[in-house]
Amino acid sequence: MYLLLAAPIFLLSFIVAGWAAEPDVVPRVDPNDAPALQEAVRLLEEEIKLAARPQTYIVIDLVDRAVLIKGRGAELHRFPIEQWSAAQLAEAQATFRLQKRPPVTRRKIEPAGAEQMPISLDDMPTEFTLLFSPSLTVDVHPSASENFWYWLKFKSRGWWEWLKGWSAILFTGHAPPSQPTIHLTVTSHHAQSLAWTVTEGMPFLLRRTSPSPPS
Amino acid sequence: MTRLTFALLSSLIGLLLLTLAQSSALLVTNEAPTPQPIAVDPATLHALHARYKSLTKQLIQLMPGQPYIVVDTARNHLYIKRRDRVMLDALASTGSGTILDKPGEAKGQWIFDTPRGEFIVQSKLINPVWVKPDWAFIEEGLAVPKSQADRIEPGVLGEYALGFGKGYFIHGTLYTRLLGKNVTHGCIRLNDEDLKSVYQLAKVGTPIMIF
Repeated sequence: MYLLLAAPIFLLSFIVAGWAAEPDVVPRVDPNDAPALQEAVRLLEEEIKLAARPQTYIVIDLVDRAVLIKGRGAELHRFPIEQWSAAQLAEAQATFRLQKRPPVTRRKIEPAGAEQMPISLDDMPTEFTLLFSPSLTVDVHPSASENFWYWLKFKSRGWWEWLKGWSAILFTGHAPPSQPTIHLTVTSHHAQSLAWTVTEGMPFLLRRTSPSPPS
Repeated sequence: MTRLTFALLSSLIGLLLLTLAQSSALLVTNEAPTPQPIAVDPATLHALHARYKSLTKQLIQLMPGQPYIVVDTARNHLYIKRRDRVMLDALASTGSGTILDKPGEAKGQWIFDTPRGEFIVQSKLINPVWVKPDWAFIEEGLAVPKSQADRIEPGVLGEYALGFGKGYFIHGTLYTRLLGKNVTHGCIRLNDEDLKSVYQLAKVGTPIMIF
């Protein structure tokens, strides 16, 4: 008798648990943190437009330090960002379309010739720049511990930009116009993974850390 | 010698100062900004939260309700997922990324990539036969046959095939030792057992997300 009563309750608990377990498609946001909520709302509004169409897209989440490959709102793959820095982040609030994917050397098959080696992740670059429309630049590079020379090259570029900026301020009295730029430090493997995944025209979204307060 | 040492030391100090100046957020936003306390009235906060919840619900509704196929071409895996749950994780082979010149065309090339993006299962076939395209003959250094019958090669695609457009299929393979590698001309190969599971779980219309 007890068994007969217990069985439906047991089944019901499973069904309720299934309903309750909503997929984790959006990052959790503190309901009392207005700027974070505002940014989450902006991101969701953009993402819903992308998820409504048959395509894959990428979300660079600077808050949770992760790059997410998504389709229809579902997370297909993610990898961590070790470090990041950015300039003009406040202006970066659109859906950005990749202009060109990083170059890859493809091997040519000779008819009836020897079998050609396929391209693999190892053939992809570990340091590259992605340019977007509207204007956004994403520099991807490995950490100093993984590849010191790439790191030094990246730092030198930063120093040069910094010097140019200050020179302009010194000589003209105002800062030169600059565009939103993000520097991502990821492992070599993840940099190659990103280079592999992106395609021309692919949409990118950005989850920023410090948006302006709601008006 | 002393001058050289002095110059080197000056350069190092200069670089150090530049790094310090940069990291002090003169031009570049620091990576861990301190949240600024902002006074927001409760009604605005409530409205924002309600909007956030409503949009979250809208995004969840856009997710495939039925099982869907995910193909990771970098790591050569095919997954069948339902919401966040992985129902099947299969080792696959995807496009090699190599190129083959089209004869008689100055700039024409075949690029053997698995296409990226979202597709749907358009057809489900049992005991499929391979109708060899032109590139298969050219790659082998053979003449392209005029008769369609000369293109047919049975028994190489396994017991099932799922078409997802433009001649691309998820199918079986005789070369199971190559699973996990990028070796195909764009199709997605699986072993017999995984292929059977995919055939059983997928329907015409099932989304395929390839990245």
